[in-house]
Amino acid sequence: MNKPANTVLLIEDEAKIRRFLRAGFELQGFSVIEAENAADGLRAATFSAPDLIILDLALPDLHGSEVLERIRSWSNVPIIILSVVSSEDEKVRLLQAGADDYVVKPFGMAELLARSEAALRRYFKSATENPVVVAGPLSVDLVTRTVTLDQQQIRLTRKEYRLLHILATHVGLVVTHDQLLKDIWSGNQRDNIQYLRILVRKLRQKIETDPNHPRLLVTESGVGYRLQARLEDIAAS
Amino acid sequence: MQPDHELPSQGFLRTDVLPLLMSLACVALVTAVLVLLDRTAAANLVPIAYLIPVVIAATQWGIWPATLASIASMAAADFFFFPPIYSFAVEDPQEVIDLLLFLVVALVSSNLASRLRQETETLRRREKDIQNLYEFSRRLAACFTVSDLISATQNYLSRTLGQPVVFFAARTDGHFEPPKAESVPEVVRESVASMIATTEAPARSMIDGPTQNVWLLRPVVSETAVHGLVAVNIGGGSGETVTFRTRRVEAILEEVSLTLQRIDIEKAIEDARLRLQGQLLRDAFQGTLSHELCTPLAAIRGSASVLESMPLIQRDDRAHSLVEAISDEVAELDGFIQNLLNATRVTGGGVDPHLEWADPRDIMNAAIKTRARRLTAHKIETAFAEDLPLVNVDSGLIEESCGQLLENAAKYSPSGSTISVSATSEQGDVILSISDQGVGITSDEQQQLGRKSFRSQRHQTIPGSGLGFWIASVFVGANGGSIRISSPGQGRGTTASITLPGSSISPLNYRP
Repeated sequence: MNKPANTVLLIEDEAKIRRFLRAGFELQGFSVIEAENAADGLRAATFSAPDLIILDLALPDLHGSEVLERIRSWSNVPIIILSVVSSEDEKVRLLQAGADDYVVKPFGMAELLARSEAALRRYFKSATENPVVVAGPLSVDLVTRTVTLDQQQIRLTRKEYRLLHILATHVGLVVTHDQLLKDIWSGNQRDNIQYLRILVRKLRQKIETDPNHPRLLVTESGVGYRLQARLEDIAAS
Repeated sequence: MQPDHELPSQGFLRTDVLPLLMSLACVALVTAVLVLLDRTAAANLVPIAYLIPVVIAATQWGIWPATLASIASMAAADFFFFPPIYSFAVEDPQEVIDLLLFLVVALVSSNLASRLRQETETLRRREKDIQNLYEFSRRLAACFTVSDLISATQNYLSRTLGQPVVFFAARTDGHFEPPKAESVPEVVRESVASMIATTEAPARSMIDGPTQNVWLLRPVVSETAVHGLVAVNIGGGSGETVTFRTRRVEAILEEVSLTLQRIDIEKAIEDARLRLQGQLLRDAFQGTLSHELCTPLAAIRGSASVLESMPLIQRDDRAHSLVEAISDEVAELDGFIQNLLNATRVTGGGVDPHLEWADPRDIMNAAIKTRARRLTAHKIETAFAEDLPLVNVDSGLIEESCGQLLENAAKYSPSGSTISVSATSEQGDVILSISDQGVGITSDEQQQLGRKSFRSQRHQTIPGSGLGFWIASVFVGANGGSIRISSPGQGRGTTASITLPGSSISPLNYRP
């Protein structure tokens, strides 16, 4: 699944957190670079060209969101945020500022690895690659616009497909309400999250085995939605 | 200390019988002494000797006894010492002049002496007044609460006026509380009952019919609040007396209201200081908890999760179960810290819900997911109605509330039993219910449930802080909802229901 020796840059001031992150990533075949403050982190992001950056928000010299903005000004490298603040507003702000995903401390390594893989997959995906996104029993062909569930083709309305399309292109990653509203309604009803909730409900009725207990299209409360990438992810949650 | 009944204007009016008798006795005594002396010697001493009882009476008992003494002395001198003896008749015209001269001298000196006495008395009274006032202001300076001040004032007024002073405390409903034991005339009671406690409450005075006593009613106010009303009986008497006493009472109450203002300011400063300290403490607590505690916790949780995935550990069952135990304990600790953080948020007034339309199913599923570790010993059954409206809430807060209720359900019901979770809609409202098959709730416990840190005596062995339900109810309340706990009885399970107002857009009719 992982490309061999993907490089991950850990920008985190706590040595004890870096220690287990290094162990966890190395166990999955990543090579790891560590930076204990924002200055070192920015330098390493420039010179070592990592494939993935894990960025802690609470850094001693510069706030993580500032670091995120600076890196985003010249690079598309996947960035996953670590924070102890679990405020939904802050998560949305970070995602809008270009973070690929976030993980709230304390977290398990499996969760971070799943997010990392999803971000990497999206980063490395090229147009020549297979345009079919697979999420568990669900597969979405982005070219022919066909959706199958357990090899059975299912019919979606235009808006339902649009929603699934956005989530499928970000498979494994969270997509904010704002982004979904903007893309699906393109200006109209943008502020009306009620329509989005109802649309999600209808899509779930078509793609979930039990719409009351969604395992593919999951809610990130206060932030957005996520299409789970693999069955392992579903089991882990 | 004696109450000072007298006022300067009343000195002349005092005509007790005893001083008159005493002055007569003095005259009699002098007469007796002179009669016993040699007649010629006595005749020379008479005019001087009779001045003694006059001056004594004037300095001791005032002008009227002295006047009586003067007249009695003259009569006695004429009767006993001026020829013809034992008769009031006078032979010599020279002696008539002597007697009249004596009377004039006696009256003048008695007048002077009694005035001297009055002056002395006034001075003494002033000194006492000043002493009292000085002591009163010292007591005022030592008053730090309103009730201290009121009792000091009551004490001082009743001591200086020699009359009971009654205090009517202001009630929250804007009226005055009548005192229980003290005797207040009906007219005063009625007048107080009709008054409204405002800072502009007028001063009143009234006359009690049966006793003819004048009662003063004065509000006790500071700048911001009315503390009550004092009713002072200043007695009866001439208009001058009443005015004098009224002025005095008002001067004292003026002093009292200044002190009240001082107490108000001090209290406000003290309150602000305490609030600031509390806020600083909370901020420090939150900062410390979220960093100093959460970081090591994150390191333990993360390290355990890495260990768990290592092939070495996965091959060894014992090692694996130990690592699992670490993860479980960390999750528990994390939950506890989150509870404390939430509690400080609530007490700091920091619950500021960020409302957003959300699907109640998502909220409940998220709550079950985050509490999954604590629910492993129970069977969770969910039932969601098809036509659930959306709810406009802070999903994070409601999720936390549901989580707390789920945790309680798991904690207070036996392992292996079922916890039923449901979401239904009722007249536009959404009701999220969590039912267990556990210990249930007695009606006594039910009443105490909303209290912070309440834990039933029955379950002291089950670990917990008693914060959970309190946090849940505050969070739900902040979202415009309510929590209801019901139980068919002890040992027969508990149902917790959260009611939230639902959206008017029906999901069934909407076609996106």
